[in-house]
Amino acid sequence: MNSIRHAILLGFALIAAGGAIFCIKTISLGYPVAPGVMTSVWDFEIYLEFEGQDEPARIEVYLPAGDVARTFPQEQFYNGPFGLSLSTERQTRNRKAIWTYRYPNNRKVLRYTAQTTGETAATPLPGAFRAADPEPAGFEEEPIRRQAFIVWTGDLRRRSADDRSYVDLAIAEIFKPRDEGELYADELAVLLDGPGNLSRLELATETLRAAGVPARIANGVFLTESRRRVELKHWLEYHMDGEDFRFFPEGPQSRFFTIWYGARDLVRATGVGDVAVQLALQERRNSAVELVKRGGDDRWGGLEHIFTFSDLPLTTQLVYKVLITIPVGITILVFLRQFIGVKTLGTFMPVLIGIAFRETALLNGLLLFSLLIALGLALRFYLERLQLLLVPRLAVVVIFIVMVMAGITIALTNSNQAIGLSISLFPIVILTMTIERMSIVWEETSAGEAIKQGLGSLAVAAVTYLAMTNDFVEYWMYQFPELLLVLMGLCVLMGRYTGLRLSELWRFRELSR
Amino acid sequence: MLKSIRKLRQNGVIGINERNINYVNPNNPRKLLRLVDDKLETKRVAQAAMIPTPELFGVVRDARDMKHLPDLLMRDDGFVIKPAQGSQGKGIIVVDSPLRGGWRMASGRRITMDVIRFQINNILSGMYSLGGQTDVAMVEYRVKFDDVFGKISFKGVPDIRVIVLRGVPVFAMLRLPTAESDGKANLHRGGVGVGIDIATGFTRQAMQHDQLIELHPDTAHPLENVQAPYWDDILMMAARSYDVTGLGYIGVDIVLDRERGPLLLELNGRPGISIQIANRRGMRFVLQQAEKISLENHSAARRVEIAKELAAAAPASPLAGEAAAAKADAAPETSVSG
Repeated sequence: MNSIRHAILLGFALIAAGGAIFCIKTISLGYPVAPGVMTSVWDFEIYLEFEGQDEPARIEVYLPAGDVARTFPQEQFYNGPFGLSLSTERQTRNRKAIWTYRYPNNRKVLRYTAQTTGETAATPLPGAFRAADPEPAGFEEEPIRRQAFIVWTGDLRRRSADDRSYVDLAIAEIFKPRDEGELYADELAVLLDGPGNLSRLELATETLRAAGVPARIANGVFLTESRRRVELKHWLEYHMDGEDFRFFPEGPQSRFFTIWYGARDLVRATGVGDVAVQLALQERRNSAVELVKRGGDDRWGGLEHIFTFSDLPLTTQLVYKVLITIPVGITILVFLRQFIGVKTLGTFMPVLIGIAFRETALLNGLLLFSLLIALGLALRFYLERLQLLLVPRLAVVVIFIVMVMAGITIALTNSNQAIGLSISLFPIVILTMTIERMSIVWEETSAGEAIKQGLGSLAVAAVTYLAMTNDFVEYWMYQFPELLLVLMGLCVLMGRYTGLRLSELWRFRELSR
Repeated sequence: MLKSIRKLRQNGVIGINERNINYVNPNNPRKLLRLVDDKLETKRVAQAAMIPTPELFGVVRDARDMKHLPDLLMRDDGFVIKPAQGSQGKGIIVVDSPLRGGWRMASGRRITMDVIRFQINNILSGMYSLGGQTDVAMVEYRVKFDDVFGKISFKGVPDIRVIVLRGVPVFAMLRLPTAESDGKANLHRGGVGVGIDIATGFTRQAMQHDQLIELHPDTAHPLENVQAPYWDDILMMAARSYDVTGLGYIGVDIVLDRERGPLLLELNGRPGISIQIANRRGMRFVLQQAEKISLENHSAARRVEIAKELAAAAPASPLAGEAAAAKADAAPETSVSG
């Protein structure tokens, strides 16, 4: 029985292939397994407006850091007439855009947009930063502050037990909230040259570095709400004992977006005047799947572009959304026939009826189908007495069904019964074929058999309809078309099932006593 | 449920899935199925091999043939109209004798020329054929059935179905029409099936609607222990049907005519499995043995002998008790002498 082994091998191979692609997509590429997983995506914009002064202009802007592990799919530049070059600073690894123009005049606008999901407290700091050797600079140019810094760090060191307590103590003292007019300790008063957070962060950075802890200032925005004007925020990042830490002077943040590192300004412009910088954030809810696809993970050779419909035109996509669920219905039908032994009219007729239910919804569909089949059968038996030929008789039944459907629609509309009955062309043909087949069974076998097969067909249609319209099934089949291979494999395996059907247990009950 | 599955396995009962995968598909090449799906073809090959069949009066292929219909139907002792590619007895009209302005059907009802024309048109348009392709209508001799089964059949022609695996007759059943089946011997329409012992030709248990019965539902005559006449001829015809068609798994339908003896009515490339109920045991073990034996390429006469030996070796009613069931389970190992 070589063909058995062959079939089983093929079946399992198909299932394995489909399953493998499915696993790669869900586990490695991060496709969500459940439908409707939404993530917030933020449109981020840097908007620059300035006055050209008819002299060579150069505008440097820091761009969102490229080495942070986060989803950061699309960025776009609106350059106007300016030339754009991108570069990365060697020491800080900051990315920056440099816009240049020889003789700009009047008001000019430059824009940079990006989309991001941002970072959370769990996002690791870039590896280059963790490995970097901190160089304790410590206010070398200013002797007075240098002196104060040495005293302050020495004092901290005395009052702490290890790096961790040193860091905690330093941060606590620097960012300790003070009342208006309250004086700092002498050293701190000297070291902090202003009341703002930035100078405190600078001091904290230097203090941490003095203890050999890599630290730096990160600049960015907090992803809290959509706004046209977003304030730039600054926070401290440091790495200690193999752990990453972020300290936000404003308190812990759940989601934020790092743009650059260091104490320098976001924008440095020469040759232009009246520079206005505006940061904007716009939140958008996006399905998680779309984001994965735009993430552009190339590890699997663009797998997501082979097994996907989302690159097709929208109308084609909609067709496939329905089409791709049909194999699920057919697989269920195979199971019901081969394992349960449900009797149906025609082979795939029930699946077609199930598809037709899409247009009518289930309960309406069942009622409408039963009604139309009953009326159609009655007409069919009447026509039998007129002894019409097969094809004209079928035609009469089709016309009759169109008439009845039109009648029902008009009656329901006139009585303002909003049942949501949408009638389409497709079910009419299926109905006619069902009526014809049923009448033949009726006549040639028995009324009971015809009704049994008719009910069997409707039951199978209902089951396949429920399966085909299930959110999970729709989502899975549409996002993971490789599951078709799994279904195919299942059908191959079911095709070699030689055991008894459930209905045959009943049929042969006399032999199982 | 598990218990009944086990019991059915012990009895060697095969289902439709197993029939198709293990017997129909490997033994009946699609190309050859044409020989049995088209009854004209069946008749042609059977006649060529001197297997008797009901005489063919004529064939209606199109509207032009229809003109000759009245001449064709001028038969005092009746006729049968059937679609050449029909299945399961669909679309068959059996006419007993002419009646004023029409005919009398086997069911006793009257039928007119108009109705017959309409029915033939239906046949021609493919209403009864597999897949709905256009068909032809055959007009043939109406079998005057042997009275041997007269008391246990009701209006219509009883026939004998023999399942033949690669030329070895394995199971047989007498199919009797009932009032419910409208004179047709089809089991799914309410006909009665009576198992026949291949070894002796005596009828055994009977069934209707998948349930065992003892008396004919209409005539109330006992169905057991009736000897089928011409039994050896019937087995020979069944065995030779394999040689003329090349189909390895067929149901051979044979009728007994009062004057002409057994006639081959039709062959079925996908015979049903209810015959197991009528014989009160599953077919698997006998089929497996027949499969083994068929590799030895015996003549038809020898295959009939082997079939009888196989049937005699198998327990008559394995359902008598647990011990018998165990015996049936061990059946494949039983060696057959000869």
